[in-house]
Amino acid sequence: MNLFQSITSALDNSLAKDPTAVIFGEDVAFGGVFRCTVGLRDKYGKDRVFNTPLCEQGIVGFGIGIAVTGATAIAEIQFADYIFPAFDQIVNEAAKYRYRSGDLFNCGSLTIRAPWGCVGHGALYHSQSPEAFFAHCPGIKVVIPRSPFQAKGLLLSCIEDKNPCIFFEPKILYRAAVEQVPVEPYKIPLSQAEVIQEGSDVTLVAWGTQVHVIREVASMAREKLGVSCEIIDLRTIVPWDVDTVCKSVVKTGRLLISHEAPLTGGFASEISSTVQEECFLNLEAPISRVCGYDTPFPHIFEPFYIPDKWKCYDALRKMINY
Amino acid sequence: MRKMLASLVSHVFSGVNQKPAMRGLLASLNFSNDTTCDITKCDLYRLEEGPPTSTVLTREEALKYYRAMQVIRRMELKADQMYKQKFIRGFCHLCDGQEACSVGLEAGIRPSDHIITSYRAHGLCYTRGLPVRSILAELTGRRGGCAKGKGGSMHMYAKNFYGGNGIVGAQVPLGAGVAFACTYLGNTEICLTVYGDGAANQGQVAEAYNLSALWKLPCSLSSERIATTQWARLSREQQPNTDYHKRGNFIPGRKANGMDILCVREATKFAAHYCRSGKGPILLELQTYRYHGHSKSDPGISYRTREEVQSMRSKSDPIMLLQERRRNSNRSNVEEWKEIDADGKKEIEEAAQFATTDPEPALEELANYSCTTKKK
Repeated sequence: MNLFQSITSALDNSLAKDPTAVIFGEDVAFGGVFRCTVGLRDKYGKDRVFNTPLCEQGIVGFGIGIAVTGATAIAEIQFADYIFPAFDQIVNEAAKYRYRSGDLFNCGSLTIRAPWGCVGHGALYHSQSPEAFFAHCPGIKVVIPRSPFQAKGLLLSCIEDKNPCIFFEPKILYRAAVEQVPVEPYKIPLSQAEVIQEGSDVTLVAWGTQVHVIREVASMAREKLGVSCEIIDLRTIVPWDVDTVCKSVVKTGRLLISHEAPLTGGFASEISSTVQEECFLNLEAPISRVCGYDTPFPHIFEPFYIPDKWKCYDALRKMINY
Repeated sequence: MRKMLASLVSHVFSGVNQKPAMRGLLASLNFSNDTTCDITKCDLYRLEEGPPTSTVLTREEALKYYRAMQVIRRMELKADQMYKQKFIRGFCHLCDGQEACSVGLEAGIRPSDHIITSYRAHGLCYTRGLPVRSILAELTGRRGGCAKGKGGSMHMYAKNFYGGNGIVGAQVPLGAGVAFACTYLGNTEICLTVYGDGAANQGQVAEAYNLSALWKLPCSLSSERIATTQWARLSREQQPNTDYHKRGNFIPGRKANGMDILCVREATKFAAHYCRSGKGPILLELQTYRYHGHSKSDPGISYRTREEVQSMRSKSDPIMLLQERRRNSNRSNVEEWKEIDADGKKEIEEAAQFATTDPEPALEELANYSCTTKKK
């Protein structure tokens, strides 16, 4: 299955297992602009898979309401770039519901899905990676898969998790990433990073599409520099798996974090800060962050903006030679 | 026909004595070349009277509107072609079919008035004064583009034209703000805030209605109703009230035929006059149609049939309707239309040539204009 098919499969499993589950968002009825909800309306009915008007704030607020009554709400925001009208609902309502009601109420059965990240031609409003804005908000979980197999397992975990979750789907991988994915439901635990390649000289951390970039960088490093890299896919941005990352840095002494989102205030800064607190004496070199520039996501300049393998390789080399 | 008349006249006047019968004939011939046209009555909401139901279309106006609509039509089709050839990438939202809206809106206001709209902006970019070459070069991301190649299709700007906005509905509160500035600065300018079916459901649009009415802002909120919202057919599934001109509740509104440029012009003139007189905001709903899908990734026939699109093209095409008006009153000159067509075609070809050969912006531009250190 490719990525969008694995998402459809996860949603299919959810709707089949949980009679209270509903899917809603802009254009989801016909299958969605990225085909993630194809066939679901025909299979489960228009009461359970339905379109909303164009109103992100309304969509999320409405989703919170559904979740508060105990039903499972799976809301789709058409592009992560459009999530900002719903920011208040997510941060002030969804994230704080359980806390402010002393656990009397919660909207844990809310999951918000949104296509995320650069796609080659998305420009300012179809390419953003806003995970850092939400990482700053206690009370929600933010999850980003790197592949179809990961996506299905993580999405099912998000849907069943008792906290409101935001699930960002790398849109560039919707068709490009293909792998074997079980048809039956399965879960991948949240807040657990995965070491996808072990190494001894430097730790590389990324999530989503960027994991594939650093994989390539690791091969380049092995070939050209004889350097052994440990690659970690963070998977859950918040609450993130501090232990796995720190354990790796204690072993290697060097850390490079990479993401498409702009450098300043990007999630790499949080990881960097925590790791230097926990592993200060183990560090052989300053922690390196290879990220997007502090500008809006450009139209024509995209190839220069994104943290490609050359920028990552260059930063890695500097760290090795520090 | 005119040449024939002219020769007849000169022949008559060359005679020593004018015959009375001929004098009578001459008197009855109208050489002004203006056409008086009937226009459909607008649906009104909270308004005692609406725009006029007939107007005069002068020859100059007819030719000007025809040229503008033809250029926009050709420009959009050229953009479509260039997209397929991969000169244009990213997002491209075409407005062919909606030419009467951009040209009509512009015809109803002054150049010193302000306009803000959504991402389907190429038509208004042109009517607001951007040359075709700067629009196409912006689409191809070159330095000769109106936003220096940094904005692309959705982000084009000109004097008194605030874009070109990607996020649906986000332009509406901005439009209210521009209108506020007009009042604040004490000029008689207004702001035409244009949006589509989908935006009508955004919360911030309701907020903009409220603010405009509260402070009596000279804001003419114009919705281009194409009966589709992005990829879905406009339906009760989207909103219980599909009469956009009534959605302002306490704000008066009217609905006009957006395929008829004279209807759009008169409705806009009426709205502009209303706003300028300090009465506050007014809603204008233009029923129009786009021939292409929402964007280049939408074939446009998953939620409507090819037959429907064809039918609109053959019965309601705005350029055809304008030509028909002139033809019906025997004011049409086929030669003139053809000359304009040829001229427009040449303009588009030159612009396309420029757009594909102009260099891309320099890499140093990547970080430029994020913030400024200029002192005010």
